[in-house]
Amino acid sequence: MLNVDGINAGYGRAMVLHDVSLKLKEGETVFIVGRNGAGKTTLLRTICGLMKPVQGTIDYRDENILGLAPEKLAQKGFRFVAQDKKVFSDLTVRGNIELAAYAAGEPISKAIEKVTSIYPDIKRFMDSKAGGLSGGQREILLIGRALIGDPRLFLIDEPTEGLAAIVIEDIFRILSRLKEDNVSALIVEQNLSVVSRLADRIFIMKEGKIIREISEKSEMADTLALESYL
Amino acid sequence: MNPDTSLSQIASTKRITIYRDMVLIAAGFFALIPLLAIHRVTDFMIFCIFVMSFDLLYGYMGRLSFGQMLYLGTGVYVSTLFSLHFSPNPILSLMAGVVGGAIVAGILGLIVVGLEGASFALTNLAFNQVGFFLIGSAFQRVTHGEDGISAGVEPWGFLDFANEPAAFGFVLLCLLFTFFMLRILTSSPFGIIIRSIKENESRVKFLGYNTFFYKWLTFVLAGAFAALAGTLYTLYVGFVSPVFIHPLNNVEVIFAALIGGAGNLFGALIGGVLFMSMKDSLSTHIPQWEWILGVLLLVIVFWLRGGVTGLIKSLTGYVKTKMAKGMAEEVEKG
Repeated sequence: MLNVDGINAGYGRAMVLHDVSLKLKEGETVFIVGRNGAGKTTLLRTICGLMKPVQGTIDYRDENILGLAPEKLAQKGFRFVAQDKKVFSDLTVRGNIELAAYAAGEPISKAIEKVTSIYPDIKRFMDSKAGGLSGGQREILLIGRALIGDPRLFLIDEPTEGLAAIVIEDIFRILSRLKEDNVSALIVEQNLSVVSRLADRIFIMKEGKIIREISEKSEMADTLALESYL
Repeated sequence: MNPDTSLSQIASTKRITIYRDMVLIAAGFFALIPLLAIHRVTDFMIFCIFVMSFDLLYGYMGRLSFGQMLYLGTGVYVSTLFSLHFSPNPILSLMAGVVGGAIVAGILGLIVVGLEGASFALTNLAFNQVGFFLIGSAFQRVTHGEDGISAGVEPWGFLDFANEPAAFGFVLLCLLFTFFMLRILTSSPFGIIIRSIKENESRVKFLGYNTFFYKWLTFVLAGAFAALAGTLYTLYVGFVSPVFIHPLNNVEVIFAALIGGAGNLFGALIGGVLFMSMKDSLSTHIPQWEWILGVLLLVIVFWLRGGVTGLIKSLTGYVKTKMAKGMAEEVEKG
């Protein structure tokens, strides 16, 4: 489905990614794990068109998507949920959902239903300013909003970062639901409990390179061993 | 319109509210007539249309332009030359000026809307400077340069700009039309998209919107409404000179928008009236009065970021909270 091949990318002359290659199959949930500064976020930003690599190719369903604008990728079903948990803070929760529904050409009632189906509690905040939501609620809104339209590939950056344990479980439940629905996802995550329970495969990144790919269930369940990579 | 209102609510905003606001605005300008001369109120209203056009770009879409005078000047000169060379009909001249402003904005918009921040502001200023040079020097044979040129507009039915009440009425209609159109526009999903672009353009792109198109269209509309103000100057003043396209005059519209409170059409109107009032009264009493504007700008930047409308909102919020607290205390005592 997604084929990243030999990517070199960075900021100006400072190269962050060095010859990064990975493949994602249809319906897979793949995690990228690594220390801060390993290049995980840069990799996601490169795949979703925010950064242009100096070398390498990115194919999506056998089509070269390198250089495509983020809005074109969104129309192809890419959904990027950034790390900063920024919603449109001046709009209500409903406004945020409707903005996505207009872009996707989806009926608003259906869009709202999609978001409330993953987190019914959000109904209480529908008419509140999205800027007033907690970090966890904002993350859920962002993931819910990404479900609108016809999502094919989720790129999620550190969905549980800075969240309380109880909210992390909510996020876990939502990500599990995506997995059950056979939605492909490439997720950067440091919470190994979430990673080990959801991953079909794990890529370990270090200093801008993928140093290991783990696909054995037993290995993925060994959070202690995984912790050595953080 | 409150930005926290949801899209569906906004889309179904009752027109009656807009009509009510329009009646209030008209009443406000009528009330100014006894305080100022009617021709000054007409002048104020034309400037307010210009401020609203700038506010669409800056207040709603978050793009600060130092070149909005270019579009006002385009409206001024296109309508003047149209009236001299094609038809003296004021309505046709007005339409020519607006279309001219929109076309120039449409072409230059393709270049500038991809820019942000200082690049956007300064590129617009550069284009404004080029326009000023073309009008003042390069096309001097047509525009008469610094000497200026008289428009060839003639009265048309009731529309006689030499008749001050008729001019006032027509300009008021144009102002209300501008307010109505911008209010509908900024309250629609389109308005929400441009406001969201102001907040975070990348996120809007990730939702699948072609933000370039929305920014370009907003730029063209802002140019067209600025040109409308320009054509009204042509019709009303009857004599135009490069002062109507001078880049330095951009400061006035920026000041006015900031004083009133950016991102709010009422703010644009209040700012326009306040700025013109200050300009009128201060310039007659204080030499080098512009320094007072400088001080005022500092006050706004440091303490009154929302301008006058922001201050009004804060005060009403404060009073409401106080009243609610008072009522709660009474209930507890009771």
